[in-house]
Amino acid sequence: MHLLLMIGLVVFSILSVLIRDLLKAAISLAVASIFLAIIFFRMNAAYAGVFEVSVVAGLITVLFITAIALTRSDEQVRESKYHLFIFPLFFVALIIIDILVMKNLLGRIPAITSPETGTFGEVLWKERSFDLIGQIGVIFAGVLAVLALFRPRSKSPQGDKHE
Amino acid sequence: MGAVALLIGIGIYCLLTMKNMVKLLIGIEIIAKGITLALVATGLAKNNLLLAQSLVISVIVVDVAVIATALAIIININRHTKSLDVRKLTKLKG
Amino acid sequence: MIFLFIIIPLLLASLMPLVGKISKRFLPDLLANATMLFLLVFSVIYAKPLIAKGGVLQQVFWFGAPLNIRLLVDGFSLFMLFTISLVSLAVTLYSIDYMEHYGAKANYYALLLLMIAGMNGLVLATDLFNIYLFLEVAAVASYALVAFGLGQDELEASFKYLMLSAVASAFILLSIAIIFGLTGGVGFGAVAAGLKMLNVKYVVGFCSALFVMGFGLKAAIVPFHSWLPDAHPSAPAPISAMLSGVLIKVSGVYAMMRIFLNVFGLTPPLTTVLSVLGIVSIFVGALAAIGQNDIKRMLAYSSISQIGYVVLGFAIGTPLGILGGLFHLFNHAIFKSLLFLNAGAVEQSTGTRSLDKMGGLAKRMPLTAATSVVASLSIAGVPPLNGFWSKLLIIMALVQAKMYVLAFLAVLGSVITLWYYLVLQRNAFFGKLNETWKAVREAPFWMSASTVMLALLCIVTGLLFPLIIKSWLQPAADILSGGVGVALNFLGF
Repeated sequence: MHLLLMIGLVVFSILSVLIRDLLKAAISLAVASIFLAIIFFRMNAAYAGVFEVSVVAGLITVLFITAIALTRSDEQVRESKYHLFIFPLFFVALIIIDILVMKNLLGRIPAITSPETGTFGEVLWKERSFDLIGQIGVIFAGVLAVLALFRPRSKSPQGDKHE
Repeated sequence: MGAVALLIGIGIYCLLTMKNMVKLLIGIEIIAKGITLALVATGLAKNNLLLAQSLVISVIVVDVAVIATALAIIININRHTKSLDVRKLTKLKG
Repeated sequence: MIFLFIIIPLLLASLMPLVGKISKRFLPDLLANATMLFLLVFSVIYAKPLIAKGGVLQQVFWFGAPLNIRLLVDGFSLFMLFTISLVSLAVTLYSIDYMEHYGAKANYYALLLLMIAGMNGLVLATDLFNIYLFLEVAAVASYALVAFGLGQDELEASFKYLMLSAVASAFILLSIAIIFGLTGGVGFGAVAAGLKMLNVKYVVGFCSALFVMGFGLKAAIVPFHSWLPDAHPSAPAPISAMLSGVLIKVSGVYAMMRIFLNVFGLTPPLTTVLSVLGIVSIFVGALAAIGQNDIKRMLAYSSISQIGYVVLGFAIGTPLGILGGLFHLFNHAIFKSLLFLNAGAVEQSTGTRSLDKMGGLAKRMPLTAATSVVASLSIAGVPPLNGFWSKLLIIMALVQAKMYVLAFLAVLGSVITLWYYLVLQRNAFFGKLNETWKAVREAPFWMSASTVMLALLCIVTGLLFPLIIKSWLQPAADILSGGVGVALNFLGF
C-alpha cells in the first residue's frame, strides 16, 4: 500500500512536469500533494498531512490558478519535443542510481532514537517558539512583497530609467 | 528515502529543461515536496515525529511565501513581455 | 534584551503600511532612521560587557514570563549585528532622498526592515533550522526589493535571483534534513555532539557539499555567482548596497562559517575546497570586472572577488586567517556599500550607469567623487586605509600556513583590483568634463551625509585598526577558532 502511494506521488509529479497545458499541470500538482498527504497520514504524521493538504493542495494551487488566469501568452510556449524521449531515459537512470546508492547509504545510518516527549502543541509552541517568529516574519515578507509588486504605478514620464 | 531522491531529481529536471516560467515554479514546488517527505521520513526513523512535523510546517509556510512572491514577479513580467517564455528574458547579459 | 534586534524591525515593518497611509514621506523616513540609529547605538553599548563574558545563551523574557527562546550571543554574533546595523543606518539615511523617485516609501521601508529583522534573526540563531528560516525571511524581502522598480530589467533580474536562490535554499534544507536524520536534532549543540559520536564521514561530507553549494550561492562564490551581476545593478542603489554589503555576507558567509567552524569542525578537505573556491572567486571576479562598462556591474563583480578573500581567510582555519577574514568582511561591508551608494548618486544625477558616457564628474560632484576615491583606495588595499590591513592579515595568514602559491595569487588579485578601480575613478570622475553633464548637481543632503559617514569610517578604521582588532574582532575570532568545542561547551542542552 505504501509503495502504491509513493508510485502515485511520483507519477503525478512527472505528469505535472510533462503536461503542456498549465491548468492541467497545476491540478496534477494538487493531486500529487494529496498523495503526499496520505503518505504523511500513514506515517503517523497527522499534522504534517493536514498542513500539506490545506496549504499545498489548497492555497498554492489556488495561487497557481490565479496566476495562470491573470497572465496571457500571445503564443504557446513551445517546449521541445525531445522531452518525450529524453525524460524516460533520465528517469530510468535516476531510478537505477537511486536503488544503488540508497541501499548503501541507508544501511549506514545508525538508529539512535530519543524518547518523544510532550504533545504536538507543546513542541510547536514551547520548543520551537523561535520558529514561530520566523514564520510570522516570512508571512509578512510574502504579503508585503505582493503588496509592493502590485502597487498602483504612477505613470512616470521616464519609463525605463536604467540602461 | 528513495522517493525523495526521485522527486528531487524530477524537480531538477523540470528546472533545467522547462521554458515556461510557471512550469519552473512547479519544479521548485516538487523539490519542496521531496524535502518535506525527507523531513518526515527521517523524523519517523528517529522517532521524533513531533519535531519533524514542526519543521515541515515551517517549510511549507516558507514555500508559500516564496511561491506567492515568484508568481507576483511572473505576473509583472507578463505585463511587460506578454509571454511566459523564459527565453524572452535575455535583456541582461553576463 | 537582544531580542529587540529582531522584534523592533519586525513590528515596525508590520506597522509601516499603516503609517504610510497617514504620512507618505516624513513619518516612514523618521521611524526607519530612528530605529536603525537606536539599534546601532544599542549594539555598541550592549555588546561591551557581554563580550567580556565570553559567549552566552540568552533567555528571552516577554513581560516577565520566559519565552522558550534562547538566543546565541557571542563575539561573532555581536560583531555581525554591529556590522548589519551600521550599513543599515547608512542605507536608510541614503534612502530618504534616493527613494523619492520610486514612490511607495512606506512599502520599501517595510521590506527593508523585514530584511534586517531576518538577518538579525539569522545571526542570533542557535539552531540549524532557524538559520534556514530567517535566511528565507531576508531572501523573500530581498526578492521584492530587487524588483522594486517594476521595470523589465529589475523583474528579470529578480526572477533569476529568485530561482537560483530557491534551489540553493532547497539544497540547504535537504542537508539539514539529512543531518536531522543522522543526529536526531537540529540545534548546534545537539548536532555537534551527535556527529562526534557517529562515524559517518561520507554522509557528513555529502552534507557539507550541499551546504557549500547552498550557502555558496547565497554568498555568490564562483561557480554559484551568476545571479549577482544581474541582480545587484538592477536593484535600487541602497538595496544594492544592502545586498552586497550585508546580505551576501550574513546569509552566505556567516551561516557557512558558523556551521563549518563551530558545528562540523574544519577538516582538511573542507579547507582545500573552500580555499580553491575563494581563490577562483578572487580571479574570476577581478578579471570580469575589468571589461565592464556599467558601474554597478563592475562593482558587483568586485563583490564576488572580495568575498573570495573573505572565504579564503576563513578557510585557512588558523586564528590569524579567521581574524583577517572577519576584518575584511567588516571592511568590505563599509566600502562596498559606500561604492554602491556613490554609483547610485551618479546614476541619479546623470541618468546613466555607463562609464563610457561619464567623465570629469569630480568638478560638479566633489563630495561624491571624494568619498568614491576613499572607498576605491580602501578596497584596493592602499595603506593606511582599512582595506590594506585586512588584506595584509589574510596574506600573512596564508604565508604562515605555508600556502605560498595562494599568497602570491592573493597579492596578484589585489593588484588587479587596484587597476580596475583606478580605471573606474578615472573614467567616471576625472578627465575632461563631458559636455552633457554641465548642469548636474551634487547629490542631495542625506545621500551625501550617508556616504561621508561611511568614508570617514573607512579612514578611521584604517588608522585605528589595532584598537578595532582588539575590541571587536579578536573575541569573534576566538569564538570561531574554538571550533567544535564552542558548540559542545555552552550550547549542549
